[in-house]
Amino acid sequence: MPHLVVENLTKVYERGKIRALFNVSFSVEKGEFLVLIGLSGSGKSTLLRCINRLVEPTSGRIFLNGVELTKLSPRAMRKVRRKIGMVFQQFNLVKRATVLQNVLAGRLGYNSTLSTLLGRFPKEDLRRAQECLERVGLLDKMYVRADQLSGGQQQRVGIARALMQEPELLLADEPVSALDPATSHSVMQYIEQINKDGVTVIASLHFLSLARRYGQRIIALKAGEIVFDGLPEAIDDRKFKEIYGEEAEEVEVR
Amino acid sequence: MRTFFAEAALLESLREIPARVGWALRIKILPALLDLTFLAYVWAATNATYSYFRFGFLSFSLLPWWWMVIVVVAVGAMWSAWDQTLGMKVVNRELSGETDFASRFLYAVLWPFFPLALLTAPFDPKARTPGELLAELTLTEVRLITYRPWYRTLTGWLALIAILSTLGAAVGVTKVEPGRLVTGFEKTIKFWRAIFSPRWDLLGLGLKLLGETVFMAIMATAFAVPIAVLLSFLAARNLMRGPLGRLIYVILRMIGSFTRSVDAVIWAIIFAVWVGTGSFAGVLALFVHSIVDLMKLYAEQIEAIDPGPVEAITATGANHLQVLRYAVIPQIINPFLSFTLYRWDINVRMATVVGMVGGGGIGFRLIQYLRSWAFPEATVLTILIILMVWALDWLSARLRAKLA
Ligand SMILES: Nc1ncnc2c1ncn2[C@@H]1O[C@H](COP(=O)(O)OP(=O)(O)O)[C@@H](O)[C@H]1O
Ligand SMILES: [Mg+2]
Repeated sequence: MPHLVVENLTKVYERGKIRALFNVSFSVEKGEFLVLIGLSGSGKSTLLRCINRLVEPTSGRIFLNGVELTKLSPRAMRKVRRKIGMVFQQFNLVKRATVLQNVLAGRLGYNSTLSTLLGRFPKEDLRRAQECLERVGLLDKMYVRADQLSGGQQQRVGIARALMQEPELLLADEPVSALDPATSHSVMQYIEQINKDGVTVIASLHFLSLARRYGQRIIALKAGEIVFDGLPEAIDDRKFKEIYGEEAEEVEVR
Repeated sequence: MRTFFAEAALLESLREIPARVGWALRIKILPALLDLTFLAYVWAATNATYSYFRFGFLSFSLLPWWWMVIVVVAVGAMWSAWDQTLGMKVVNRELSGETDFASRFLYAVLWPFFPLALLTAPFDPKARTPGELLAELTLTEVRLITYRPWYRTLTGWLALIAILSTLGAAVGVTKVEPGRLVTGFEKTIKFWRAIFSPRWDLLGLGLKLLGETVFMAIMATAFAVPIAVLLSFLAARNLMRGPLGRLIYVILRMIGSFTRSVDAVIWAIIFAVWVGTGSFAGVLALFVHSIVDLMKLYAEQIEAIDPGPVEAITATGANHLQVLRYAVIPQIINPFLSFTLYRWDINVRMATVVGMVGGGGIGFRLIQYLRSWAFPEATVLTILIILMVWALDWLSARLRAKLA
């Protein structure tokens, strides 16, 4: 059984009547590293957010481990979200809070509302937070405010927050688009490592060169529809022009 | 078959009539009425200025009213025929066509009949006025801006006259007489002497009243904050989605801006009548004003939060309360505290003013002293108020800098 199955997914945004996704179907095996590519506005963010239902799909079905997510109650969906980590292009950290507070937020779904409202987390979670920060090399920044960190460091905090969830699936929405090339690779390597530890990863990436370097498989979206689904090697010059348009030139991110 | 099409066309044009009449109103009638109103105002202001400076009394129309009508309409006609008037500027039109003297003159003569555009509108898609029809000049959208210096245009001169006569009329209406500053000075000597001999034995009483005033402000702020916090979430556009939410949002914002537009002093008078003069009336006035003011400030802060963290915390599987606690509150807590301090600061100052109209505290006593010409006593209280405002200013600025 595939880890994730997406069936005939369509999303129409009411505001502006924009069809962001149309009839998208694919499945992902456990432990796969899938990369989404496509021009901006092609629907990558929408697709990732439909998977954890931050965006409510208009029609179609999504299964995780055979469970139909699109049928779940909000409460049941929150339980499932605990196992789906997510990192964002703009990091989405609480800037005024410390790194530790940001990372601990990854455990909210596992703890009682009352104790978390009082700001209390189990000792176990504190230990886990230290571990996760150590994994992304930021243990010494634990008590620093998030807005004091560089972009790359902030994204690593974002990754640590996702790791706190002990995810089985990691969604990454253009995780390195706001970073310079050198930092991009260092962040991508942390994500690659998480994948090697058995977590299924779906990442949208802006540059094809990054997609080729990290993806085991690539899905390309164009105006909300899948125009390519296959191995990175299969994207030749013609396919490239079909995805990105005639004028596009491939650039390398080193 | 033919008649059918003719009827259909007729029906079609009948359906357009309301739109055409509306257009005539907006483009032809209202701008002309605006010009007439403006000219009538200029008439009144120049008359007031002239009568005040020439004869020493105010009159908004020295000549009988029908003189004013004739002059205003005549100037309006000339203005419309030879220049781009105020009303034409507003709707971005200008007169174009054969712009020789004869056409312009004919246009000016026919201009007073501009309301007839409402009658031509059903038949003429351009809703031409009699002037436009007969003088072969039309009001068209401004195409080229022909630059002329202001002193070469009628509009420029009318604007200058309007500004000067407004200033002149203002002097007349408010009876500005700089001379009286000199002639009346000796009457204030007693006052100045009193100011420099404060009754320091009243210091104790003054401090007690000052304390009362500060506590009025603290009470009003402390009780307003929780209510304002609750209301602010209901008055934040980004949280109040859907028809019901939007309705609550609009109603709260409307009540808020209405209540805020009534000055705290007015509220103090209302409450002084309601619950009797004294500190309580003052507290209520500040309380009401603080609620709506803080509600607006808080709500705007909520509207300005970064939605990113909200999305990220939601994605971890947190519930609504947890999202509020971990994504929303960290973003708003400092601004909220800062606004609260700012409002408390304002409330302390306002408490003295509100006190003067029956709201108790130091302001109430101050106004009593002033009314009974007890200047040495009033000076003590004034010095205390100045010191307090000064100290508060400093303190709240320091605290707010820390919160930023
Ligand atoms: N909240 C929204 N409301 C309305 N339209 C949206 C919203 N989010 C995205 N869209 C539109 O949906 C389309 C796909 O957007 P997105 O999924 O963000 O693409 P990508 O991530 O590939 O740039 C775009 O046309 C975008 O304008
Ligand atoms: Mg995107």
